[in-house]
Amino acid sequence: MVTRSTEQDKKRSLVSAPVAAVASLILPGVGQILARRVWRGLLILGAFVSIVGLSAWRIDALAHREPTAMAKLTEAFSDHPFFVGLMIGGTILLWLVSALDAYRSAHPDQRGVFWIFILVLMLFFALGWQISEIDLYQAATGLPDTWPLFSRVMWPWDAAVTRRTETVSARAEIEVPCTDDPPEPPERDPEQPWVVAEPTCGELSDLDEENNIVPGTELNVTGGNFAPNTETQIWWEDPIGNEFRIRQEGEYITIETDDEGSFQLDVIMPYRLLPPSARGPQIHYLEARQVAEVGPLIPSEPLLLSIERMIETIFLGMMATFFGILFAIPISFLAARNLMSGSWFSMVIYYVTRAFMNIVRAIEPLIWAVIAVQWVGLGPFAGIIALTVHTIAALGKLYSEAIEGIDPGPIEAIQATGANQLQTIMYAVVPQMIPPFVSFSIYRWDINVRLSTVVGLVGGGGIGFILIQYIRLLNFRAAGIAVWFIAITVAILDYVSADIRERFV
Amino acid sequence: MLEVKNLTKIYDDGTVALRDVSFTVEEGEFLIIIGLSGSGKSTLLRCINRLIEPTEGQIIWKGQDITAADGGELRKIRRKIGMVFQHFNLVRRSTVITNVLGGRLGYVSQWPSLLHRFPKKDRKKAMDALERLGIEDQAHKRADELSGGQQQRVGIARALMQDPEMILADEPVASLDPVLAHSILDHLEMLNQEEDMTILCSLHYLDLIQEYASRVIGLRAGRIVYRGSREQIRAMSDDEFKEIYGEEAVRVSAAQAPGERS
Repeated sequence: MVTRSTEQDKKRSLVSAPVAAVASLILPGVGQILARRVWRGLLILGAFVSIVGLSAWRIDALAHREPTAMAKLTEAFSDHPFFVGLMIGGTILLWLVSALDAYRSAHPDQRGVFWIFILVLMLFFALGWQISEIDLYQAATGLPDTWPLFSRVMWPWDAAVTRRTETVSARAEIEVPCTDDPPEPPERDPEQPWVVAEPTCGELSDLDEENNIVPGTELNVTGGNFAPNTETQIWWEDPIGNEFRIRQEGEYITIETDDEGSFQLDVIMPYRLLPPSARGPQIHYLEARQVAEVGPLIPSEPLLLSIERMIETIFLGMMATFFGILFAIPISFLAARNLMSGSWFSMVIYYVTRAFMNIVRAIEPLIWAVIAVQWVGLGPFAGIIALTVHTIAALGKLYSEAIEGIDPGPIEAIQATGANQLQTIMYAVVPQMIPPFVSFSIYRWDINVRLSTVVGLVGGGGIGFILIQYIRLLNFRAAGIAVWFIAITVAILDYVSADIRERFV
Repeated sequence: MLEVKNLTKIYDDGTVALRDVSFTVEEGEFLIIIGLSGSGKSTLLRCINRLIEPTEGQIIWKGQDITAADGGELRKIRRKIGMVFQHFNLVRRSTVITNVLGGRLGYVSQWPSLLHRFPKKDRKKAMDALERLGIEDQAHKRADELSGGQQQRVGIARALMQDPEMILADEPVASLDPVLAHSILDHLEMLNQEEDMTILCSLHYLDLIQEYASRVIGLRAGRIVYRGSREQIRAMSDDEFKEIYGEEAVRVSAAQAPGERS
């Protein structure tokens, strides 16, 4: 706050200095108002009231379980002595200083206490620190936890390439329950992978009446002719074709094959709910599977999808900009004051158009995207609608300001040469409008490509759409690839649009 | 011969810019209009080619009533009256040659001109005009790359493209340095003397007025308060000058005065 009056033109106070001080002791700021320092008084009053109110709210929030105000205060103070102490002490200090300030403001030869506003700022800073839950300890200790995520996002390119995979598998029949005639173990083909489970029949794991697990039969599983030194998964398939990986103690069972491609392990037959109708002996399968990477490196799905969606995003931004320009040009003429000031009717149109554009522009593209998704469903078209609506309003305003900024001099000069209306527009108006129009349009394209990643988050198509999916799937490498593409595209676009605009302006 | 009869201009907001102004200009005259800013000089010049519609009165030029001319007639009249402006009024982003060709728009057919196509002889004429003003090497530069003095020459070249019989110059040197002021006025004087163009020019500096004017009228608050011949203006005293410009006016010499900026 700048003190408005200097020594020479200081307004006479309405009351004497001690009265002003007492008034400010009753309610801070009142004394200053009585001393005809109205703005200063209102500012101090407002600051004091908001500091007291906000402090009360925060102290209440810190100890919301306590029933009475006093208990809340004690509880909050014991938990957060520094904050609560600072606020109480600071508020009392502010109170006293405001009285001193009132005294000096009302005194004919003295000026107000300048640092009262520094005190107010400090109290607001402390409140802001508490309200926004700033936690430096967490910021310091939590930082290392971000590293795995951060490193994946920053360097996602390991996931950009992959190899074609091939599944190698063999299975063994298991009869449930055992009968007199269990199935024969499969033949061990010397050319093909094989797996044998002993015995070839048994009981599945089950629950007894007290819901305790009754372990099933333990199978001794051996396999051979698999790829050597490769992770092998053990799967189970029930008679109706459901496949699942067997867990033991919560972990999926995997085993690494030896140098010959053989393995051996014990597996407890899994628990499986079977429909009551499934009685009598049934054949289940135990399957050993290897997923082997074969062939050369190829682009991974996230990479291809990111490229595809990035192209979609660029065109999404382009189409939205195109449609936006198309509608914004006529609207901008209606919103240009210099063109519309002719009659009251055109002024009404001017104000309505302006209001319309301000409202549309005030609503974020994200909100428009949510609405557009309701309208035309998920996908880039919804994104185009959302961005077009926002672009019309934003460009309409920029264009109309460009029209308002036209120099009337050349118009007058061209008219004076005997040119007709069209020639005047072509020679004096258009050359002045093209640069800002081109500049604003390219700038808007730039913005729209950026925004199209945002509208994608709510289903408006483009790369934002897959980015949010990858984040939700915790696939941070794939998300990192998308982020990189966005960053690269935005950087290129930024450079190109700045360059083009420079040429035109 | 230009005859202005009882010209009055009252703007929509009630400002009276000109009140009952009458004078005649013979062909080949270099008439200088003096007066304070806001005295109505610009309005007067713009009423002559009807960039501003007069409220009352008549302007008769070569027997034709400009004030009564309809759209087509008015454009035919305008193309014979060149105009030069204080702020040059060039299209800043267009090239010099395009600006100059703009002066030809009243003569060429509409559709080709909209595509910036001009007959070859018009392009030649434009280059000749630039050459005459000594800036032919600037022809393909953007207008805003030129200095103020050069821009005003482009403005004169544009007026020349109209083959004008009369030039209206609205404070043509007020945005220029004093030294450049002389050179621009020399060009106008040359057109006046060599091609017998009538020139109506508003000016501020007494020594420029004394040097170039063949006749002077003085405006004050929209009324003519002074009429002087070449001889009378040469002999004009500071007191007379003050009477037109008001008490605070001091005689300023163009050679000393700082370049006036808008």
